[in-house]
Amino acid sequence: MDNPLVQPDPGLFIWTIVTFLVLLTLLAKFAWRPLLQALENRQALIRKSLDDAQQAKQELERLQQESAQIIKAARVEAETIVTKSRADGERLREEMKQKARSDADAIVRNAERQIQLETARALQQIRREAVDLSVMIASKIIGRNLSKEDNESLIEEALRQIETPRH
Amino acid sequence: MLVQEAVQEHLATDAAEKFNAGKVIIEHVSNSGLDHPLLRLPHVLGIDFSVTKHVLMLWLVSIAVFVVVTWTVRRYLKQDRPLPTGFMNALEAVVEFVRDAIVQPNVGRKWVNTWTPLVLTLFVFILCANGIGLIPVFETLGLLDHWVLHTAEDSFVKHVMHGGTTATANFNVTAALATITFGAIIVAGSRAHGFIQHWKNLVPHGLAWALYIILIPIEVMGMFVRPFALTMRLAANMTGGHIAILAILSFVFLFTDIFGRAAAGIGVGVAVSVPLAVGISALEIIVVLVQAYVFALLSAVFIGMAIHAHH
Repeated sequence: MDNPLVQPDPGLFIWTIVTFLVLLTLLAKFAWRPLLQALENRQALIRKSLDDAQQAKQELERLQQESAQIIKAARVEAETIVTKSRADGERLREEMKQKARSDADAIVRNAERQIQLETARALQQIRREAVDLSVMIASKIIGRNLSKEDNESLIEEALRQIETPRH
Repeated sequence: MLVQEAVQEHLATDAAEKFNAGKVIIEHVSNSGLDHPLLRLPHVLGIDFSVTKHVLMLWLVSIAVFVVVTWTVRRYLKQDRPLPTGFMNALEAVVEFVRDAIVQPNVGRKWVNTWTPLVLTLFVFILCANGIGLIPVFETLGLLDHWVLHTAEDSFVKHVMHGGTTATANFNVTAALATITFGAIIVAGSRAHGFIQHWKNLVPHGLAWALYIILIPIEVMGMFVRPFALTMRLAANMTGGHIAILAILSFVFLFTDIFGRAAAGIGVGVAVSVPLAVGISALEIIVVLVQAYVFALLSAVFIGMAIHAHH
């Protein structure tokens, strides 16, 4: 027991226990527990951040798909509108053309009828003139004036004779 | 040339008595004697509570550990957005290593936050106490005193020169630390299963009564052998490395004595002693780490065994 390496030293033993327990208490209170708590909080925070990022990514993908759909729908609609407008325009043009054509036809028919009427009237007038002239010439030749009734009946008869062969 | 001077001085002053390597080595490894304490305190119940070199070292290590760790943690927690910077990164790595690799696999998720502070304190405290023994603080102070300070014979600096620096090389210190583990095992078992059940858990139940006559003494012995092994492993490892380094460095003085010339000693020192001592010091860095790790790991294992008593 002379060797100081194996000398029991109860004072040192108790000092070590006291020192260590004091150090343990202080460190646990002021360093280890707050630090362990902080580490756990940070772990939770990182997990939450990752989850949030994942969610945000999914949300973004959903929004992107949605917007792509909207754009697609809008494009289809625009195409429909353009097609419809083109068809409408075509139809309208066709209608206008049709209408113009029928208008023109009506005008032409009108004009033709007018012309026929005018022609008919002119012929009648010419015929009347011719009758009058014939009567005048005939009375002159005959030398006497026919009574008015004779005139009228003669004219009528002459006119019928002229018109009849034509029908 | 400092070494040469020292050697010549040694030759001049101790010419009569030969260099006693064993005495010098023991002096540099063991505690300073209780007959010359640094601070004499009264006996309580026949126990001498005087502050010796190793008590002083325990206090220095404790204060250093507490100040550095607490300051770092407080500074980290004070920030608005707690970002670990600088030394906090290293501390965090140590804390997470001890929690995730030492404590949790042994005591389980339920008790991890209860026992991590104890194991962390054991690890950091033993690591720093081991590590400070590798730094020749007091040897440097001694040289400074010898050539610069020239303090009086009875000064504090002269007193502090006696004894080894590594408190964990003293088995009284490691026995106290093992006692802490011993107590922690009982507390852990009692908190997990109740005080009575903890003692019943020491032996498997449902065996023939005759077996218990053999088993109970064995398990009770095992209960004390574990802290005893912790005590001896740490103290012996810490002592051994230092003795090896000191023995190799003693060659310088032994050869000086044998050949009667300082040049012989210095030659051996440059050629053999210093390179070997550097190599062993490098090995010691590993030992310092491993022993702190082993002590913390075994403490966690024993605590876990008390909590998960599968018999």
